[in-house]
Amino acid sequence: MLNEFFLSLEYLPLAQNIGATWWFPLIESLHVVSITLMLGAILMVDLRVLGLAATRYSVSTLSRELVPWSAVALGVASVTGIAMFITRASAHAVNPAFQIKMLLIILAGINVAVFHLIIFRRNEDWDALINTPVAARLVAASSIALWIGVMLAGRWVGHIV
Amino acid sequence: MMSELADWLSNTPVRDFSASLLSSIPGLPPVLQTIHLLCIVAIMASIVMIDLRVLGLAVPSQDIGEMIARLSPWTLWGIVGAGSSGIWFILARPNRYFSNPVFQIKFALLALAIILTFAFYRWGRIQTGIWDGAGSRFSLARAYAFVSLSLWLGVAMAGRWIAYSEYLFWSE
Repeated sequence: MLNEFFLSLEYLPLAQNIGATWWFPLIESLHVVSITLMLGAILMVDLRVLGLAATRYSVSTLSRELVPWSAVALGVASVTGIAMFITRASAHAVNPAFQIKMLLIILAGINVAVFHLIIFRRNEDWDALINTPVAARLVAASSIALWIGVMLAGRWVGHIV
Repeated sequence: MMSELADWLSNTPVRDFSASLLSSIPGLPPVLQTIHLLCIVAIMASIVMIDLRVLGLAVPSQDIGEMIARLSPWTLWGIVGAGSSGIWFILARPNRYFSNPVFQIKFALLALAIILTFAFYRWGRIQTGIWDGAGSRFSLARAYAFVSLSLWLGVAMAGRWIAYSEYLFWSE
């Protein structure tokens, strides 16, 4: 049944149009650019939490100014990603690299929720410090590892056809 | 000239080495491509963020002179890393790349972008007190930032279009 749903996505006029025209490379290149911008903004915050970069700024300042950029870039990456997914939905759904990529995105989402809803809530004592709490560092290091994993798995999708 | 260079490269041992490297190690192409992408992340986070800051669009609390000093090593190493991870694909199939118009566009934009960026970094480091948002030198910096942003986004997008150049150049 799920497979029929994916097949019906592929038969959408929109999906067929994207898959057969220059829309596909345009969407794919926008996907790449938005991902690099998103990860760039995320890395800047993560490396600050780890005390490795931009330590003159507080974590809350960097987070406030950079998270909106990563959120917008994630939005563009999601829309362009879905647009590419529907052109070959049934094949992607069974592609192990694609499945791993989706799993890692979910884990990265949980990770960022843990940071903003739990750890960052009690940030008054360490906001401006270089030595941030171990829990915050763990989340920041996991964030870097998970997003690199998402990127690797995403790039791998195209090598399994 | 491009095709002669490609033909010459095709007959060197470097081509055979690169081609066998990419085909004999399982998973090496996507790993190298991911390293290439991560280096583009470093380029985006340094150059594009400085451009957006100069244009007044991002990170208002950061000082532009301080950003240039802090982020220029990321730009440099991002470019070095992207070059050393990407070059294997060119060396393995020189004819495919050198004859591709999108590849030629990418490298023309890239050369211009690199020269402009490092010229701006150098200029930005010796300028003091121009970043308050007034004066003709700041207007020049804004014009640079707009051109730089367009060039680097163009380079990144052109990179992905190399594989689809037939849509642009050989359709119909």
